[in-house]
Amino acid sequence: MIVAKQKPIAELKEMLRPYQKVLILGCGTCVKTCFAGGEDEAATLSVALRLAFGQEGKSIKTEELTVERQCEDAFIQEAAQAVTRNEAVLSLACGAGVQAMARRFGKAVLLPGVNTTFIGVLEKPGLFTEECSGCGDCELDTFGGICPVTRCSKRLMNGPCGGSKNGKCEVSPDIDCAWQLIIDRLTALGQLENLKRYIPAKDWRPSLAGGPRRLLREDHVI
Amino acid sequence: MGSKFEPKIHVFYCVNAFDQGVFSTHDSKNAARIQSVKMPCSSTIKDIFMLKAFECSADGVMVVGCPAGKCKRVDGNVRAAKRVAWVQKLLDEIGMSGKRLVYTASGETDAALTLLLKGLVELGPNPVKPIAQANPE
Repeated sequence: MIVAKQKPIAELKEMLRPYQKVLILGCGTCVKTCFAGGEDEAATLSVALRLAFGQEGKSIKTEELTVERQCEDAFIQEAAQAVTRNEAVLSLACGAGVQAMARRFGKAVLLPGVNTTFIGVLEKPGLFTEECSGCGDCELDTFGGICPVTRCSKRLMNGPCGGSKNGKCEVSPDIDCAWQLIIDRLTALGQLENLKRYIPAKDWRPSLAGGPRRLLREDHVI
Repeated sequence: MGSKFEPKIHVFYCVNAFDQGVFSTHDSKNAARIQSVKMPCSSTIKDIFMLKAFECSADGVMVVGCPAGKCKRVDGNVRAAKRVAWVQKLLDEIGMSGKRLVYTASGETDAALTLLLKGLVELGPNPVKPIAQANPE
């Protein structure tokens, strides 16, 4: 899932200041799961913004709507009328959702209500952790399902740096040493031999070169 | 001008936390201008309920749960306290002061209410005028 964090109220206020009627558009998928932009968060933010502006004596009319996924045209079509009757849309979706909205509703003012952060998982209740960098060349089979690209602070591909202590990364004691996790897991799987394979320097071209990425499936093009 | 400020408090309380399931306070000085809302468990408190109370011109909000270790739903009171702490930070961000919102366990209600009222006298009335546009939905 994509993990995001709601923008501070002060920043949202400045973005919304020019507008009297705002649609707060939630998304029912990733941002709902990480408590940044689902239906509940849209409703709460709506009241919070009215209170924030109310203190200045400014009245702002907010409307709330949440669609299943803002990154899919079939779902965001449902928001068409709500978009039209408001001056601006504060989208609580990830960056992909905000841009899908902007693509669909070319004349609408689209504002981002969250900061999109990473691809991750819910590690335990209340804690979301980054797991995947979208490098475009997955080698999780070698590393027992633990990604050194994302979870090693130094993105080392051929073993630990030697700086870890008690299984924690020297960058921060809150970070597990990814290589400790890899070694432990491969040992448990009986696949420690994997680490004898030399992994060459990461080829970042699948992710960082050639501009924004595209994936075309000709079999789905009519 | 100069009329005495009597804070309006909304109290969200867990019915299991009080005898007969009714919120009560023993200090008559604390009884003024209290509007109470009962909940089947303090964990049913949601961020929006607390914020809406302020939008409906509450000067302060108190959430009352069962004492530690006594929640019938195990951790309901713990969750409620954490949610209150979250909204307190949100109120600070909004500029209304998180001190307008408190969580307390039953048995400590009178003391908490006294403290809240004292704080509200310092903070003053809710700075947000009653909103004409209450989203009817």
